[in-house]
Amino acid sequence: MRQVLALVVTAALAIAVPVWSNAWAFDGEKELYEAAKKEKQFTWYTAHYDSETAAAVCNGFEKKYAGIKCEYVRTTAQVAYQRVSQDMKAGLAVASVFSSTDTSHYGHMKKDGWLQPYKPKNLGELIDGFKAYNDPDHLFVATAAGLVLITYNTSVVSEKDAPKKWTDLLDPKWKGKISIGHPGFSGYVGTWVVQMRKSYGWDYFKKLEVNKPRIGRSINDTVTMLNARESWVAAGPSATTLISKDKGNPLALVYPEDGAILMISPSAILKNAPAPNTAKLFMEYLLGKECNDIMVKFRQDPVNKTVKVPAGMKSVAEVKTIRPTYDEIDKGIPEVKEMFRDTFGI
Amino acid sequence: MRWRHLDRSLLLWLLAAGVLVALVANPIARLLWTSVQGTGGLTLDNYVTAFSRWRYVEALGNSLILGLSVGALCAVFGVPMAWAVSRTDMPGKGLVWIAVLGTFIVPNYLSAVAWILLAGPNAGWLNRSWTALTGAAAGPFNIYSMPGLVLVVAASSFPYMFVFTRSALDLISSEMEDAATTLGAGLWRTTLRVTLPLTLPAILAAFIVAFLEAIAIFGAPALIALPGRFQVVTTMLWQFFEFPPKVEVAAAYAMPLLAITVLLFWLQQRIIARKGYIALTGKGGERRMVRLGRWRWVVLGYCVFVTSLSFFLPMLVVLQAAFAKAWGRGFSLDNLTLHNLRFVLVDQPLTRAATVHTFVYGGVAAVLALVLALAIAYIVRRGLVPYGRVLSYVAMAPFVIPGIVLAIGFYASYTSPPLVLYGTAWILILAFTTRFLPIAYANSDAALRSINPELEDAVRILGGGRLLALRRVVGPLLKRGLAGAFILVFIPATRELSSAIFLCTAGTQVLAVLLFDKSDEGNFEYLSAIGLILVAGTVAMVLAGFRLVGRDFMLRRTAT
Repeated sequence: MRQVLALVVTAALAIAVPVWSNAWAFDGEKELYEAAKKEKQFTWYTAHYDSETAAAVCNGFEKKYAGIKCEYVRTTAQVAYQRVSQDMKAGLAVASVFSSTDTSHYGHMKKDGWLQPYKPKNLGELIDGFKAYNDPDHLFVATAAGLVLITYNTSVVSEKDAPKKWTDLLDPKWKGKISIGHPGFSGYVGTWVVQMRKSYGWDYFKKLEVNKPRIGRSINDTVTMLNARESWVAAGPSATTLISKDKGNPLALVYPEDGAILMISPSAILKNAPAPNTAKLFMEYLLGKECNDIMVKFRQDPVNKTVKVPAGMKSVAEVKTIRPTYDEIDKGIPEVKEMFRDTFGI
Repeated sequence: MRWRHLDRSLLLWLLAAGVLVALVANPIARLLWTSVQGTGGLTLDNYVTAFSRWRYVEALGNSLILGLSVGALCAVFGVPMAWAVSRTDMPGKGLVWIAVLGTFIVPNYLSAVAWILLAGPNAGWLNRSWTALTGAAAGPFNIYSMPGLVLVVAASSFPYMFVFTRSALDLISSEMEDAATTLGAGLWRTTLRVTLPLTLPAILAAFIVAFLEAIAIFGAPALIALPGRFQVVTTMLWQFFEFPPKVEVAAAYAMPLLAITVLLFWLQQRIIARKGYIALTGKGGERRMVRLGRWRWVVLGYCVFVTSLSFFLPMLVVLQAAFAKAWGRGFSLDNLTLHNLRFVLVDQPLTRAATVHTFVYGGVAAVLALVLALAIAYIVRRGLVPYGRVLSYVAMAPFVIPGIVLAIGFYASYTSPPLVLYGTAWILILAFTTRFLPIAYANSDAALRSINPELEDAVRILGGGRLLALRRVVGPLLKRGLAGAFILVFIPATRELSSAIFLCTAGTQVLAVLLFDKSDEGNFEYLSAIGLILVAGTVAMVLAGFRLVGRDFMLRRTAT
C-alpha cells in the first residue's frame, strides 16, 4: 500500500512540477513583473518591422503582462537615432528601449555611455547563429532578423521576367519601374547600399540612376509602391512584403542568386530609461516564444530557436545571404549617404 | 513729483513689451549668433559650407521658382473667382464660399497626400481614368515634379488671393464702371481697364503673401519634391537636422530665406500703405452686380473647376482612402473598412495623445497670442510707452520668418541652458504663439482702432484706473472681434507642421508631425485617416466659432 502511494505521489509530482514551474518562464520573472507593474508604462523607439507589426508586438506584451502599457514610436532607423540623440543631448529621459536596424548606432551609443547592460535570462533561446551579433558586455542583444531582397508585383511582372539577381535591376526594361528606399533614413536600405557597393562598386548605383528609380524613405515604402503599381519591382523587405501578400495583394519575393542581405537588428536598454524594470522584462519578451509567435504571424524571421518559420517563406538559414561587417557598416553608411545624395540628387 | 501720478499699470505694459521682445527677438538673435559659430569662435565657415555644394544652391533656386509660380497661379485662380463672387450675379456664391473656407481648413500636406493619390504617374486616379478613356500607355500627369508641387501649393494658398482681392473689390462703387459704360466701353473692357486696375495693389499684396507662403512651406514639398528628386530650401534645412544635426550650417543656410522674406514684406507694406483698404470708409456709392447672362454658367464652371482642384477632389480621395482596405482597389463596396480609423485611434498609442496635444497647444497658443497682441496693440494705440511704434513692428516681425526658420531659432535658443524647454509642451506653445502673433496683432489693432479713447477717459475722470476701464468697458466691446481673431490663430496652430517638426518629442506629439512621420512608409490609408481626424476636429471648432460669433467672423476684418 505504502509503495503504491509513494508511486502515485512521485508520478503526481513528476507531472505537476514541470507544469507548475512553466507558469513563470524564466528565473526571476515574477519579481521583475512586480517591479515593472509599478512603472505602469514604457516608451519604445523602434525601427524594426513596420507600424502594424510593432503594434502587434506591443499588444502581445500588454496581454502577457497585464497592467503595463507599451507605447511604441515606429520610425526609420536614422530618425529614431536622431530622436534619441536629441533626447540625450537635452537630458530628457523618454524612451526605455531602443531598437534600430543600423548596427553602427549601437557602437556609438556604447561609446557615448547611453546604454545599460542586461543579460537576458532568455538568452539561451536565441538562435545560436545570431549570438555573434550580441555585445560581449551585454549592452545590446539581437532581437529581430529579416532580409532585403527583390520583390515584384505579379499582376504586371511574370515569374519568368522577374529579376533573378541584383544586377538584373540595371536592365533598361525596368526604367521608371523600380522602387527603393533612402539610406539617409532607413537602416535596411543603408546596409543594402553598403553591400551593393562592396559587391559591385559604386558604378552599380550610377547605372541604377539611369533607370530612374522611385526613391522613398523607409524600405516599407516599396511595398506600397508595388501595391499601387506605381512601381513594378523593388529592393524590398521580406517581412512587410509577405504580410501584404497575405492580405491578398499580388506580390512575390525573389531570393537573389547573388545573395539576399541578411539583417540582424539588436535592441538595447537606455541608461536613463524611465522604466528600467519594464525594459528588462520587454527584452526577455522579445526573445521569448510568445513574441516570436506573433512575429512570425507578421512574417518576421524568428530569433527564438523553438519557433518555426511558417509555410510560404524560407528561413534565413535556408537562403544564400550576404552581409557587410560591422566596421563596413559603421564607416560605410555615412559615406554612402553622401554619395547617394550626389548620384541621385536627393 | 510725477511719480505719484504714474499709472500703476505702466509696469504691466513694460512687462508685456518685455515678453514680446524676448519671445520674438531671442530666437532670431540666437539664429544669427549660431550661424557665425565655429569650433574656434566666430567664423563665416558655416556660410561657406551652406553654399558651397551646388545641390544647396539649386534648392534655393527651386524655392524661388516655386514662389513665383505659385504666386502667379494663385492670381489665375483667385482673381477671377473674387471678381465673380464680388461683382457679378453668378449663382452658387454660397457654395463657392464654403469651398474656399474648406480649402483654408485642409492643411497643405494633406492636400499633397490627396494629389499623390490623384496624380501619381502610374497609379493616380486621373491617370488611370485617362488611360482607360483614351487607351494611352500612360497618363500625362506626374505629381512628383515642380509643376505638380506648384499646383498643390497654389491650390492650398489661393484663398488668401481670393479674400484680399474680394475685400478690395467690395469697396469699389459702381460709379467708375457706370462712367466707363456711359462712354461706350463694353463689359470686358470696363472690367479689364477700370475695375481690375483699381484692385492691383490688393492683387500685388496677395501675390507677395502667396510667394512668402510658398517658399516657407515644408509639408507639401517634403511629400512631393523628395520623390520628385528635387529639393527646396525647407527640405534642405530639414536635411541639415539629420544626425548629427548641423545647426550652425542650417542657421547660415536659412539667412537668405529670411532676407528675401523681409525684403518682400517691406515691399508689400509699401504697396498697401498707399491704398488703405482695411476699414470701411463708409464713403457711400452703390455697388451693383454686373449682369452676365449666359456667361454666368461659364464663370460658375470656372469657380467649380478651381474649387474641385483645391477642395472637392482632394477630400473625395482622402475619404476614399481613409475607409479603404487598399486605396488602389477603388470605390467598390468590398473595399470599405473601418480598420484604418481603428488602427490609428486604438492600436497606435500616439494618435489619441497627439489629438489632445494638437487642440490643447493650439488653444493655449491662441489665447497667449491674443492676450499679448491686445496688450501691445493697446500700448501702441494709446501711446503708453515711449517709442511704442517699434513694438508694433516687433509684433508683426514673425510674419516674415518662415516657420521652419523660427523652429531652428527656438531649437537653438531653448535646447541648452539657461532655459531648457526642449521636450516640454512649452517650446511648442511658445513657437506657435510667436508664429501666429502677427495675425492676432493685426486683428487686435483693427478692433481697437474702432474704440474711441473717450470711453476710457470717462472712466478715469470718474476715478477708475486704466485697468478698470479695460476690464469693464473696452473688453466687452471687443468680445466679438476677439473671438474671430482667436479662431484665426487657432486653426493654423492646430495644423502647423513646419515649426513643429523639430520641436516635437515622443511625449509632445501633434497630429501634423504624426502624419508626416507616418508618411515614410507610404501607407496612404493611415495618412488619410489621421488627416480626416484633423480636418473633422477643425471643422467642429469652426462651426462652434460660427455659432459663438455669427456668420461674419471670417468675412470682414472690421470690428463689431
